[in-house]
Amino acid sequence: MSNAAPAAPDLLGWLLNRERDLSAVERYARAHDRDPGAAGRWRDLIPLSAPRPGEQYAFEVDLDGCTGCKACVTACHNLNGLDEDETWRAVGLLTGGTPAAPYQQHVTTACHHCVDPACMAGCPVEAYEKDPITGIVRHLDDQCIGCQYCTLTCPYDVPQYSPSRGIVRKCDMCRSRLAVGEAPACVQACPNEAIRITTVRTEQVVADNEAGRFLPGAPDPGITQPTTTFKTARDVPRNALPVDWYSVRPERAHPPLTLMLVLTQLAVGAFGVAAFSPLMSGDLAGLGRAHAALALIVGLLALGASVLHLGRPQYGFRAILGFRRSWLSREVIAFGGFAGLATLYAAVAWLGTPPRWLTAAVTTSGLVGVGCSIMVYVACRRDGWRADLVAAKFLLTTVLLGAATTLAALVVGVAIDPGAAGPARTLASQLAQLLAVAAGGKLAFEIGLLAHLRDRRHGALKRSAVLLVGRLRRLSATRFIAGALGGVAAPLCYLAAVDVVEPAGLAACAMVAWLACLAGELLERHLFFVAAASPRMPGGAP
Amino acid sequence: MKLSLARLLRADDGPLTQELALASTDLGVLPERLRPDGIATVVCGFCSTGCGLDVHLKAGRAINLTPAPGHPVNDGAACPKGWDALAPLTAPDRAVRPLARNARGKLVPVDWNQALTRMVDKLKAIGRAHGPESVAFLSTGQIVTEEMALLGALAKLGMGMVHGDGNTRQCMATSVVAYKESFGYDAPPYTYQDFEESDAIVLWGSNLAIAHPIQWQRVLRNRRQPTIVAIDPRATETAQASTWHLALKPKSDLALAYGVAHVLIARGWIDRAFVDAHVEGFDDYAAHVAAFTPERVADDTGLTAADVVRLAETIHRGPRVSHWWTMGVNQSHQGVRTAQAIIALALLTGQIGKPGTGANSITGQCNAMGSRLFSNTTNLFGGRDFADAGHRAEVAGILGLDEGLIPRQSSWSYDRILEGVHRGTIRALWVIGTNPAHSWINQPGLDEILQRLDFLVVQDMYASTETAQRADLVLPAAGWGEKQGTFINSERRVGLTQLVAPPPGQALSDFSIFRLVAERWGVGDRFARWSSPAAAFELIKQLSAGRPCDITGIRDYAMLAEHGGIQWPLPAGTVPERHRRLFADGRFFTPDGRARLKVADPAPLPESPSRRYPFLLNTGRGSAAQWHTQTRTGKSAVLRKLAPSEVWVELHPDDARRIGIRHGERVKVSSRRGSLLARAVVTPRVRLGEVFVPMHDSTTNRLTVAAFDPYSRQPAYKASAVAIERPETWEM
Repeated sequence: MSNAAPAAPDLLGWLLNRERDLSAVERYARAHDRDPGAAGRWRDLIPLSAPRPGEQYAFEVDLDGCTGCKACVTACHNLNGLDEDETWRAVGLLTGGTPAAPYQQHVTTACHHCVDPACMAGCPVEAYEKDPITGIVRHLDDQCIGCQYCTLTCPYDVPQYSPSRGIVRKCDMCRSRLAVGEAPACVQACPNEAIRITTVRTEQVVADNEAGRFLPGAPDPGITQPTTTFKTARDVPRNALPVDWYSVRPERAHPPLTLMLVLTQLAVGAFGVAAFSPLMSGDLAGLGRAHAALALIVGLLALGASVLHLGRPQYGFRAILGFRRSWLSREVIAFGGFAGLATLYAAVAWLGTPPRWLTAAVTTSGLVGVGCSIMVYVACRRDGWRADLVAAKFLLTTVLLGAATTLAALVVGVAIDPGAAGPARTLASQLAQLLAVAAGGKLAFEIGLLAHLRDRRHGALKRSAVLLVGRLRRLSATRFIAGALGGVAAPLCYLAAVDVVEPAGLAACAMVAWLACLAGELLERHLFFVAAASPRMPGGAP
Repeated sequence: MKLSLARLLRADDGPLTQELALASTDLGVLPERLRPDGIATVVCGFCSTGCGLDVHLKAGRAINLTPAPGHPVNDGAACPKGWDALAPLTAPDRAVRPLARNARGKLVPVDWNQALTRMVDKLKAIGRAHGPESVAFLSTGQIVTEEMALLGALAKLGMGMVHGDGNTRQCMATSVVAYKESFGYDAPPYTYQDFEESDAIVLWGSNLAIAHPIQWQRVLRNRRQPTIVAIDPRATETAQASTWHLALKPKSDLALAYGVAHVLIARGWIDRAFVDAHVEGFDDYAAHVAAFTPERVADDTGLTAADVVRLAETIHRGPRVSHWWTMGVNQSHQGVRTAQAIIALALLTGQIGKPGTGANSITGQCNAMGSRLFSNTTNLFGGRDFADAGHRAEVAGILGLDEGLIPRQSSWSYDRILEGVHRGTIRALWVIGTNPAHSWINQPGLDEILQRLDFLVVQDMYASTETAQRADLVLPAAGWGEKQGTFINSERRVGLTQLVAPPPGQALSDFSIFRLVAERWGVGDRFARWSSPAAAFELIKQLSAGRPCDITGIRDYAMLAEHGGIQWPLPAGTVPERHRRLFADGRFFTPDGRARLKVADPAPLPESPSRRYPFLLNTGRGSAAQWHTQTRTGKSAVLRKLAPSEVWVELHPDDARRIGIRHGERVKVSSRRGSLLARAVVTPRVRLGEVFVPMHDSTTNRLTVAAFDPYSRQPAYKASAVAIERPETWEM
């Protein structure tokens, strides 16, 4: 750097240039022998040999050394070259104790490289693999299609979705570092040597987790068998809980999934009604054709919506790969079959009357699809997504939207072409009754879940209820109003007016029922995601 | 065909995988795309710990950063701020052009020539109209020593200013005064190695684990199984991790230290030989503490008499005892005497100058120590005295300037400068690298003061700080990493920081800005010797010659880099060691070489809780990921993630129950000055009747009461009376 500065007025330009010319800068680095020093620091913190059969690598956290400085998070971020706001580690806080002896403990956590990784089990494209030797659960970034199902199945919120890339990424225990005898980034970074890699016996992990003593307030370790050990020499008070235990916050919304679930269920319901009614026979055949076409279109829309959910839709076809393990793959296959059969059905219906086997096949494939949808969420093993709760919601949606759609199609059809008024009216009245019963039952069921507000334990269902009557109260109110209007008030109105009002008025009533039901179910499904309190590791202060 | 179909179905590798693929490099295993082609070791620019960071360079520019292994301070570790120190440099709200307030009151971009003309014309006009006292500066502990020194020289010996102070007043002034009076010089005596070599580590008002995580690392590396005593009203992270936590009443630490001294003297647990040989004022001290019986101290502190005796026993048992203090002591209405009472405990027991001992003040900012010695504000360069003609002559000689240019009085302190603004004596302020509109005590009062200014110049990395938003003129400054120079850390280590990224837009280093102002002021020739940071460093070396902080033995920047920083003193001809402490010979910097004992009676709190404001408010660091007013840490996505997302107030469960506040609720905290909204965190970490609010939110200082230590003029941020209530709906 030259010191021969010109005098004013050139000084300004000279300084501006000089400070930007980094090539001219003389730089100094500390002379130190990196390898021996570095290796010496970590030698005791990583295993010396590969795991033997029945063993795997695992994180071990010495809670007594974790003071909450969070260097591990930033080191992982820098040394792995993550995105600006991407983090693979998190530091939470446990608190408890008594006023005389307050307890507070920071906890650093990352992927637990589980014995039974739920991310891997759920992945529809087999983008996860568990290394047969080290047990490290690795995500194959180029295989990922960005369906984000693993972000729902992992109880520990480990896989992080990157919208810009359209894939998730996660901790791989710095396997490339371990492979050359270097410690993972977090292990290197902890000033207090509170994180280390150990070799654990799988059997021991399972046995330890059986006792449920993983970490206070953490999700049930029985689900995925996490291998991380949290150790401490201090007494952990019985009331130690994550500092954010009682705070509830809405989860991420999944609009394409909301749309997909509701519309597939509508389509399946509509075909189901066709199968169980005389819709395709006699005087109704014309209406039946239109109805089948409508149901098909909605069903295809639904499948289109599901593709929107993918970060990398161009690789969506891979989603069938995981059919052996993943309910998501099975859902894709079932609805694929349903779409094919429904298309065939609509085509046949256009030409004449579809054979009974075809009607049965469409309906069955659709119901299998809805069953898979149910299992997709049940497999996440969240308390709020218990099998009976999800099944009740999805099946009742199928019935009530099937009924509401068919009702609307019939009544509007009659208003346009009064030819088939007689049999159509009879069927419509039956559907209105079915709708009122199904919708009324579903609303009662959903309201019943709010009784969990009285639970003493702050479980998932209570958290959901707290959200529904708290931060999400406007949405919940709208959902119940729409549901009651479309599912109960409108069909009852229809039944009362069916003999006295003009067809156009009845059509308006049926359309109100249909639209309000659809809106109500879309809101219900939106809340299904955002109010489903997810399990999580301890979080931080506010 | 078959192959490509297989790849379509199964892609074990590809561009996304390669993005994270790791490869072995000279700096360890790193992502291939971040493979460095060079490194520069720099000192971190956040806190005073002074960690060494290896900045990874590609084509001369910083691309990544790792803590420097083997560095004498941090040996390969860093806190999150250090790890993510590069992120704040690329923030979108960096000041990239000078901004001037136009006729309609809006800050608009101007070019450097216009900005400099405006600044110089305006300041000269104000000076002509109202005298040399009417223009002052407020600087920072965040710029390099070379810049501080040039500013101090330019402002006082070039522009004719009389008053200027730094934000170090807010964190370190108390220690400065305490050390000067007790040791004869502002000389923290320790090395961080003392953390590793103590048997008893007594932490007075220091949340080391969160505020200085890497110093806490040194504590945890201690293999002697030390007793760690945390003296703190709040059960901080440090207190929880200590062997013993003494949750005393706020600001009763002075009484506690006197009580401990009482027991030490009464039981004959003092090092009489050391005291006789090296300490002045023992008899007065003993007489003073005679009244501080354990029973009385128990009353004053809320502890038990047994606690007081046990602490004295711990200090007596040793064998190596070190005392450390930070803001809990410094930010107090009686901070200086408290610090001196702690110093007295070390002196009485002879626990100084030996491994694992000392009365050790842990500094705040990365270059507070540089500011203390070379900012030319309250002290003349090198810890000299403005009033001393001999000192003025020395400095004038070294700088090649007329002695008459040097003012004969020292600067007003920060609070007095603001008072001067309030009275109308000071009409223009030049604020450099600090954010008083956020950080100064009693914010509503400061708001009013800033309104009285005729002209406010703010020189900062960001045009978005609360203070810059109020400026008449904003000068865009380069930040840490965009310039070269030295910092001095808590253990007196002079370390090098380097240029690893270009400043954005038209931003310039503070050093260059000062040179431009000198030119424009018409005094450029007076500062011709300050041609570069390296040249300024040579002048600083000369200014240190023969002073306790003598660094004439430091050859140049390269030598600093080679050693990972060098502790002062290093007189010419001596060889640097990795760790050094002062006073091994028991000789202090007073004229007679003896340390002084100073006493005062504990004073009541400036503002006690009342019926209307029943709680006592403590403020302090929120998390290890936050730095001060967050102008920098708030710019990093990762650090934001690691910090609490909103301001909170800690409240004791019994208090919460009594006033009907639930955990997690939004509450209104108000004082006689102002109010804020915060999330209630109900926790037994705080004592009954006390609340805690982190200092990082811009609203926190609406609450604090403008009280000061009478000797150091340091603000007492940690004891204000407040009320807590549920806000009205319209206040939410």
